[in-house]
Amino acid sequence: MSERARNGVFLAAIIGLAVVLALTVSVRPQSESRVSHIGSRIKCPVCQGESIADSPSQMAQDMMALIAERVAEGVSDEAIEAELLDAYSGAVLLDPPMSGRTLALWLAPPAVALIGLAVIVRWRRQSPIAAGDGTVDPGSARKLAGGILLTGAMVAIVVIAATTLQDREGPAAGVANPDTQDLENVSNETMEAVIASNADHPEINGMRLALAERYYEAGDYRSAFPHYLAVVDSGQATQPEAVTSLVRLGWMAYEGNTETETALSLFDRALEIDPSSQVALYLKGTVLWCGDRDAESARALFTALLDDPELPEESRAQIEDDLALLDSGEGCA
Amino acid sequence: MLVVRGIRVGRGGVSDLVSPARLLGLGAIVSMTALELALLTDDFSLAYVANQHSTTTPFPFDFATAWAALEGSIVLWGLVLAGFTWMTLRRYRRSPDPLGAGALAVMGGVAVFFFGLMLTVSNPFEVCTSALEVGCAQTSPFPWATVDAPLQGPGPNPLLQNHFLMAVHPPVLYLGYVGLTVPFAYAISALALRVPGPEWIRRSHRSTLVAWSFLTLGIVLGGWWAYEVLSWGGYWAWDPVENASFMPWLAATAFIHSGLVQQRRKMLQAWNFVLVITVFALTILGTFLTRSGTINSVHSFTQSAIGPALLGFLVLVLVGSFALFATRSHLVSTSSRIDSFVSREGSFLANNLILTVYGFVVLIGTIYPLLLEAFTDEQAAVGEPFFNRLAVPLSFLLLLFMGLGPLLPWKGSPAGQLWARVRVPIVIGLAAGVTTSLWISRVGWVVLAVTFAVYVISGIVATLVRQARARAAKSGLSLRSETWRVLGKDQTFWAGQLSHIGVATVVVGIAFAANLGHHAEVSLEPGEETEFAGYTIVYESPFQAREPNRLVQGARLSVLSGDDFVATLEPRANFYGADTTGVVTPAVLSRPGGDLYLTLRDIDSEQVELILDTSPLIWMVWLGGILTAAGGAWSVLARRISRAGARRGQTADV
Repeated sequence: MSERARNGVFLAAIIGLAVVLALTVSVRPQSESRVSHIGSRIKCPVCQGESIADSPSQMAQDMMALIAERVAEGVSDEAIEAELLDAYSGAVLLDPPMSGRTLALWLAPPAVALIGLAVIVRWRRQSPIAAGDGTVDPGSARKLAGGILLTGAMVAIVVIAATTLQDREGPAAGVANPDTQDLENVSNETMEAVIASNADHPEINGMRLALAERYYEAGDYRSAFPHYLAVVDSGQATQPEAVTSLVRLGWMAYEGNTETETALSLFDRALEIDPSSQVALYLKGTVLWCGDRDAESARALFTALLDDPELPEESRAQIEDDLALLDSGEGCA
Repeated sequence: MLVVRGIRVGRGGVSDLVSPARLLGLGAIVSMTALELALLTDDFSLAYVANQHSTTTPFPFDFATAWAALEGSIVLWGLVLAGFTWMTLRRYRRSPDPLGAGALAVMGGVAVFFFGLMLTVSNPFEVCTSALEVGCAQTSPFPWATVDAPLQGPGPNPLLQNHFLMAVHPPVLYLGYVGLTVPFAYAISALALRVPGPEWIRRSHRSTLVAWSFLTLGIVLGGWWAYEVLSWGGYWAWDPVENASFMPWLAATAFIHSGLVQQRRKMLQAWNFVLVITVFALTILGTFLTRSGTINSVHSFTQSAIGPALLGFLVLVLVGSFALFATRSHLVSTSSRIDSFVSREGSFLANNLILTVYGFVVLIGTIYPLLLEAFTDEQAAVGEPFFNRLAVPLSFLLLLFMGLGPLLPWKGSPAGQLWARVRVPIVIGLAAGVTTSLWISRVGWVVLAVTFAVYVISGIVATLVRQARARAAKSGLSLRSETWRVLGKDQTFWAGQLSHIGVATVVVGIAFAANLGHHAEVSLEPGEETEFAGYTIVYESPFQAREPNRLVQGARLSVLSGDDFVATLEPRANFYGADTTGVVTPAVLSRPGGDLYLTLRDIDSEQVELILDTSPLIWMVWLGGILTAAGGAWSVLARRISRAGARRGQTADV
C-alpha cells in the first residue's frame, strides 16, 4: 500500500470512529441524581469544607431531605439552591457564580493561560539565533520578567491573605462586651479566640456558656468541659449561668465518664444555688435511677417535679413516661 | 530533656558549612528519639504526650502519634530535613565543590528556621507543671473525678488512630515535601555563587525526582487513607490541605520536564530558576495552610500560633530568592532558541504552560475565599464544582500532549513524521473509546478518559515496538531481546513513560469511580436483605467489641453475588476515649471490577441504617499512583546506575 493510501485509510478510520463515538456518547452524567447534584454544590454550614451531599451531619441530612422534597415538587435547581442559601446561614455555594465578586476567580486562570501563551510566542519570535555562548538575549530576559511578575503576584496574594488573618481576628478579639445575642453567626474558632483574649472580662461568661452549649449539643464534651468549669470557677457567674454549668458538668460526668458520685455532687451544688431548678432535679433523679443508686429517691424527685405548676408540658409528659417505667420495674430508658 | 534542648540550642546558631550538618542530623535524631521515648513510655509530664497520647493506644499508632499534631510534625520535618542534608553532604564529600557547599548552607538556613520553631512557638518538649495548666488539663476530662483512676490520656485525634495508613502517609509525604528543599538549595547556591549552567540543573533535577517520587506516593497514600477512613467514599475533595500538596506536585512535575529541556537543549534556565523557587515556596505555603488553621478544612486537626512565623518565612523566601534572582538575571539568560514547536521541547513547553495554569487554578481556588473575606467580609466557598470544571479539561489537555511528546524527537521533527507516528495511537484510542461506549458505558467522561488513556499508552508501546523493530532489523536479533535492550539503553526515558502510564491509569480509575458508582441508602432489620448493584446484602446481626483503645459498634453483613457467598463485611463506628460521637469506619470489599463500600449511618438493636456505594475500578487510582511514583524512582536509580557505569568505564580506560 502506498503511503498515500495508508494515510487515507487512517484518516477514514479516525473520522469514522470519531463519528461513532459522537453518536453513542451521552453527555449528561447518568449516575448522579438531581438531589445529589444540588447537594454537592452547597457547603455544609456546620462542617469544615464538605458539601451537604458528602457530610454525615444531621443538618446536612435535613438539608438533603429538603432538596429531595423540593425536587419531588418540581421546583427548579436554582430556586432550591436559593431557598437553602437563604434558610441556612453559613451555607454557601461551592460553585462560585461567574459574576460579582467571584468573577475574578473565573477570569484569572484564562488570563494566566493567555499571558503564558503570549510570553512563549514572543520569546520564540524575539530570540535571535545564538550568536555565541554567553550572549544575553532580550527575549529570555523578557520571559524572565514575566516569571518574576507572576511570582510577584503570588507574593502579593500571600501577603494579602496574611492581612486577612489579622483583620479577621483583630476586631473579633477586641470585642470588649461580648453580646450573646449576636453570636449565631460567629464560628467556634472566633469565639475561642475572643474568649482567650478576654478571659478576665467580667461578662465573658455569657460567651463561654454559648460556646460550651454548642460543644455540648455536638457531643464534644472534651471541648465543652473547660468552659463550663471556667464559668463555675469565675466567681462572677450569674445564678442561672452557674446552675446551667454545674448541671451540664454533672451530666457530662455521668454520661461521658459514668462518674455517678461526681454527677450527683454537682447536681447538689446546683440545687444549693437554686433549689427549684427543674433540670437539676430531673437529672439528679435520672442519675439516681439509671446509675442504680436509689430508685425510691428518684421516684420522690419525679413526683415532686410533677407538682410544680410551672413545669412545661413536654417535660411533664417525659417525666410521666419515666415514672411509668420506674413503676413497671424496667431499667431506665 | 535538658540535654535535648541543649543540643538543639547548640545547633540553633548553625548556618555554617559542613561539620554542623552532622550536628544537625544528631540533634534531629535525638529530638525524635526523645519524643518517641516519651510517647512509648507514657511520660505524661510532657504536654505533647499528655494531650496526644493515651496508654491504651496500640502500636503503631502510639509511635505515629509523634507526628499526629503540630509540634511533633515539626520534629519530623526537622528529622527528614536532616536526612536530606546528610544525603547532600555525602554527595559533597565525594566531590568537593562550592555549589554543594552553598546548597548545604541554604539547607542549614532552612533548618535553623524549623528548629527555631521547635524552640519557640512549637516546642514539643513543653513540660506540664500542673494538671490544670492549659493543655495539660485535657489529660483527663474530669481532673477531680479521676483521683484514683490511672492517668490514661485522651489519645490522638480519633481520625488519626483509625487506620495504619496514618502511620505511613505523613512520613512519606514529608519525604516529598521536605525533599523539595534540596533542589531549591542548589538553585539558590548557583545564583548566589554565580555558577549557573549544567551542574546546578543536573543536581536540582535529580533531587527533584527523588522528592517528587515520594510526594506522588504520599499523595496517593493520603487519598487511599481518606477513602478507607473518612467514610464518604471519596479520596480527593479539593480540600485546601490536599491542594497544598498538589500545588508543589504540579510545579515539580513542570520542572522535571523543563529541567530536561535545559539539560538537553540549554534553554529555559531562567524559567527553571523561577520554577524551583516557586516549588519550594509552595511547600512552605502548603505548610502554612495545613498547620496554621487558617483555612477551615477537614484536615485542620492542628491549629496554633505558628501561622505568622511560617508566613513570615514564606515572604522571606519569596522576596529573598527573587531579589537574588533579579540581581543575577544577566547570568541566567540562555541564548539557545527553540527551532520548532513541533519537537520534544515544544511539547514540554506546552506541558509547562498547562501545568502552570493548572497550578494557578488550584492556588487561586484555595486562597480566593480568604482574600474575599479579607476585603469584603463576604463568605464564599470554592469547592469541587469549580476545581473540576477547570481541572478536568486541563487534565485532558495534558494527556493530549503526553501522547505527543514522547513521539517527537528533540530539535524538531521532519514534516509528516509526527502524523505517521501519532495516527496509530489515535486510531487505537478512538477504537477503545468506541468499544467502551458501545459495551461498557456511554457516559461522556468515561469514554473520553478511556480514549485518551489508551491513546497515551499505545503511543508509548508503539514507540517501544518501533525502536525495537528498527534495531532487530539491523542486528538480526529477536524482537524480544531487542525490546529489552531498548528499555535498558535509555532507562530515564522509559522511566518517564512508566509515570505517564501511571497517570493515564489514574485518569481511567477516577473517571470510572466518579461516574459509574451506584449509591443507595437503606435500613435493614436483622435477617433482612437488599439487592444492590448486583449484590445481595444480608444483615446478619449487630455486634459490639471492646478493644484496648476503643469501643467498636457495628453491623455484620453477608455479601452474596448471585447465590455465591462473597464476603462478610463489618461497617462500624469506633468510639475512642471520652468521644461520644464515634468515628464511622466504612467496610470495603475490593474486587477486580471495583469496590463495594458500606458505611454505617445509624444502628440500634432493631435495625441498621446503611449507605451503600460502589466505586468501579477504584484500584486503578491506587495502582496508577504507585506506577507514577515508581517511574520517578526508576529514573533516579537509572541515573545512579548510569553514573556508576560511567565511573567504571573511566577507571577501565585509565
